Amino acid sequence: MTTNPITKDYSHFEDLHVGQVIDLGKTKLSKKMIIDFASEFDPFPFHLDEEAANASLLGGLCASGWHTGALSLKMLIENFPSKLASAGGVGFTNLKWKKPVMVNDTIGGTVTISELRRTSSNLHWGIITLEFDVCNQNGEQVMAMTLKNLVDVRNPSAPLKEQQI
Amino acid sequence: MTRWYEDIEINSTLELGSHQFELKEIIEFNKQYDNQYFHTDPELAKHSHFKGIIASGWHTACVGQRKMVDALFAEEERLLSQGKQPGVSGPSPGINKMTFKTPVRPKDTVSYQLTITSKRIANSLPGWGLLFLQLDAINQRDEIVYQADIVGISKRRDFKPTLKQRFGIWAMKIPLVKRLMKR
Repeated sequence: MTTNPITKDYSHFEDLHVGQVIDLGKTKLSKKMIIDFASEFDPFPFHLDEEAANASLLGGLCASGWHTGALSLKMLIENFPSKLASAGGVGFTNLKWKKPVMVNDTIGGTVTISELRRTSSNLHWGIITLEFDVCNQNGEQVMAMTLKNLVDVRNPSAPLKEQQI
Repeated sequence: MTRWYEDIEINSTLELGSHQFELKEIIEFNKQYDNQYFHTDPELAKHSHFKGIIASGWHTACVGQRKMVDALFAEEERLLSQGKQPGVSGPSPGINKMTFKTPVRPKDTVSYQLTITSKRIANSLPGWGLLFLQLDAINQRDEIVYQADIVGISKRRDFKPTLKQRFGIWAMKIPLVKRLMKR
C-alpha cells in the first residue's frame, strides 16, 4: 500500500478512468504576463514588442508557445480532482501550437485521460496519458499535446489486468 | 535560425551554452506553473521517490528555449558585424516529441545542444522552410536530461512568389484585409 503521507488522499492510478475529462478553467493573458514570460524564456521580438509583432508572421503581440504550455500545466494541476499523486512527467508528443494567443485572449479547454497503463517493470507506478485541448475565447484550438505522466499505484501488489499492461 | 533556409546545413550542431539551476528559481517557476510538492518544497519533496526537490521538466525546456534564442541573436550580431544580412526565423509550429530522462536538482548544470536533422520547404507557408531540430539537454554528469524533436521555420532567401502569391502578400499589407483574414 502507498506510504507517502503527502499524497495519500490524492487521486491514485486506481481512482482514474479512461475518458475522464478535466476542465481547465480560464486564464486571461495580459500584455504584462506575455512580456514578463517572454523576457525570461523566449525573447523573440514578436513576443516582446508590439511593432515588431505586427510586422511578423503572427500579426500582433502574442504569447510564447511555452507560456501557453506552462499555463495549461498550471491549470491542469489546479483543476485536477483531489490532486494527482504524480511521480513525475515522462514527456509529451505532438505538441502543436495551432493559433497564436494574443494579448487579452482567454485560454481554457479540457484535458482528457486517453490511456491508463501499468507496467511489469515498476509495479508502484502507472502511466497516465493526457490529451490537452486548449482553446481561446472563440473556441478555436490554440494548442494540443499528448502528455505522459507517472502516477502512484495505491496497491502495487494488485495483479495487473491484461488491458493495463 | 538566423541563417536563411538555403544556408542551413543538415547535421550541423550548435552549442547553446549551459545553465546552472538554483533552488530559488526552481521554486519560483514551479509555484507559478507546476505547483506540486516535489517541485516546490525541499522538505516535503523528501517523501517523493525523487528524495528531494527537482525542477519542472517544463522549466528545463523553457530555459532551453531561452538558450536557443540567445544563440540565434548572438549569431545575428556576428553576421551583421561581418557586413552580412542575417536570415529570419519564425515561430515554431510545434514539438513532435519531448522525453524527460533525468530530473534536474538544485545546482545541476545543464548544457544545451541543437542539431539540425532535416529541412524542407513549407508548402502551406509560402516563403518559408521547415527545419527539424533535435535539442539535447545534458547535465554535468553527462546524463541526458531531456531530448526534444522541435519544428522550426526559417525564411527562404531565394523565394520567388508566383503572381497569385504576390497579390496575396500585397493584399495582406492593407490593414482591413489583414483584419478580415484574421477572423
